[in-house]
Amino acid sequence: MGAIFSIGLNTFREAIRSKVFYSMALFAILIVITGHFLADISLHQEKRVLLDIGTGLISFFALMLSIFTGTSIIYKEIEKKTIYLILSKPVERWKFIAGKTAGLLATIFTVVGIMLIFFLLELYLMRISPGTNILKATILILSEVIVVVAITIFFSSFTSPFITGMLTIGMVAIGRLLPDLKHIIQMKYEPDFIRSSVESLLQIFPQLYLFIPNGHDFNGVHVSITSDFVNWSFTFWSTAYALTYSGIFLFLASIILSKRDLT
Amino acid sequence: MTDKPNPLVIENIEKSFQTGFLNLKKVKAVKGISLTIKRGEIFGLLGPNGAGKTTTLKMVTGLIFPDKGKISIFGKSSSKATARSEVGFLPENPWFYDYLTAREFLSMAGGIFSIPSDTVKKRSEELLEKLGIAHAADIPMRKYSKGMLQRAGLAQALINNPELIILDEPLSGLDPIGRRELREIILDLRKEGKTVVFSSHILADVEDICDSVAIIAKGKLRETGKLSELLLKGQSYFEIFATGVHNTISELCKSVDETVVVEKTISGTRIQVSTSEISNNILKKLVMENIEIKKFDSHKKSLEDLFMESSSNKSDEEK
Repeated sequence: MGAIFSIGLNTFREAIRSKVFYSMALFAILIVITGHFLADISLHQEKRVLLDIGTGLISFFALMLSIFTGTSIIYKEIEKKTIYLILSKPVERWKFIAGKTAGLLATIFTVVGIMLIFFLLELYLMRISPGTNILKATILILSEVIVVVAITIFFSSFTSPFITGMLTIGMVAIGRLLPDLKHIIQMKYEPDFIRSSVESLLQIFPQLYLFIPNGHDFNGVHVSITSDFVNWSFTFWSTAYALTYSGIFLFLASIILSKRDLT
Repeated sequence: MTDKPNPLVIENIEKSFQTGFLNLKKVKAVKGISLTIKRGEIFGLLGPNGAGKTTTLKMVTGLIFPDKGKISIFGKSSSKATARSEVGFLPENPWFYDYLTAREFLSMAGGIFSIPSDTVKKRSEELLEKLGIAHAADIPMRKYSKGMLQRAGLAQALINNPELIILDEPLSGLDPIGRRELREIILDLRKEGKTVVFSSHILADVEDICDSVAIIAKGKLRETGKLSELLLKGQSYFEIFATGVHNTISELCKSVDETVVVEKTISGTRIQVSTSEISNNILKKLVMENIEIKKFDSHKKSLEDLFMESSSNKSDEEK
């Protein structure tokens, strides 16, 4: 555990000493401006609009941070040869992947936590009670972060940051639009082998629509944090899905790295 | 003395890399190298650029995997991460996390070995002091000079108080003072009973401090053994510089031994002979004929001679 903790702590240090925290400051400014702006124009709908936009922004920022911080996380270590100083020590390569993942997640969770504090402060100033839905939404947002981080680390273990970024963005876009894509396929094509094959293929992509605060549930039914939001059972199973899906990707990343010559 | 296995045993390792368009070309970087490094010695791995030194050391430290052969570190296969628990490694031109300070970096390195934080702190202070970078311990390493980075690299290689220290080109890029200090540190490590393996092409440094050497060229092991034995193995020769009629001197020398090399120079004649017996006979004859002897030199084979012979002649054989 010592190695994983040390690698994770170093990854966290690297992130917080870079420009990651600027995005947090930007969000804080955005949320304050949005809150005051909405108070003026929302015609007694402050709660609905502020909660939707606030959680949406937290989710969006967390996603962007996951992609842009994660894309180069392994590649940079190999390219800059800093990995030599780690893996020449008694560290299995899966521990390196685990440490990098833990550090990156710790960074993004911290940023999400700080954004959440700003958001709750804004709600308090606007005298809006967030209720327990905000907790469920946060768990879902963090679950999505876990999935996206695992995907970026997987791609980063064998390809360049640009390709990793492109592939991850593609996976995220498809993952978030899965209910719509499934709907289009069902509407456009007759049930046959090709349709069932495409539907099966879509299962490979992460079901990211599950984690959007204003998205879809398992059945593709639209949910919103301010109205009919998901229950705790949904939250639990979504989180379990996120952990399983990311576990598979991290396992694959470990296998790829453990076979790779670090030339 | 305990029967602990040798610090490093390399048995017939080979490594190829794919290069060229679509990685279709295969280049053999290491071709069946075998080495045994004994406890407490300073072992120099010599070879020209591209000889396979770094590839060999990377295989030892688990960064790349041999296609064939075995590597054992204190009896454990190098493919197991635990084999490296008693190893310290300084890569060639080490890159660091430039946002970290040396102290933070050492703390991280110690953490990777799961050394208790109190011990890491104490050891870090000792190493920073010993390596002369204590004054810069809390400055981010991006502000370090090349020499300071090399020292920080060495500090992280020693954080676990390793028994086997592997240094890849540790002296390259250092100024003469830095090289001298690093040589002294390596000698101190030997005094502590540590085993040091280092690669270099700065022959003077290797000749000064190494107990044993291996010369690698074009991926093959050319020579290995105790440095003193290798140098003795090489033929020495004697040189006589004389002044007088060149043809007379030449005839005199050839009458002693046909194999003697006699060359006309600007200031006289140069005579090269291979044994002391022949040189004595020639000297006697020259004195008897009243020929002036300007200079007499005895040459022993240097590491440079050995290095040049090993890395050029035998490479030609392959062509």
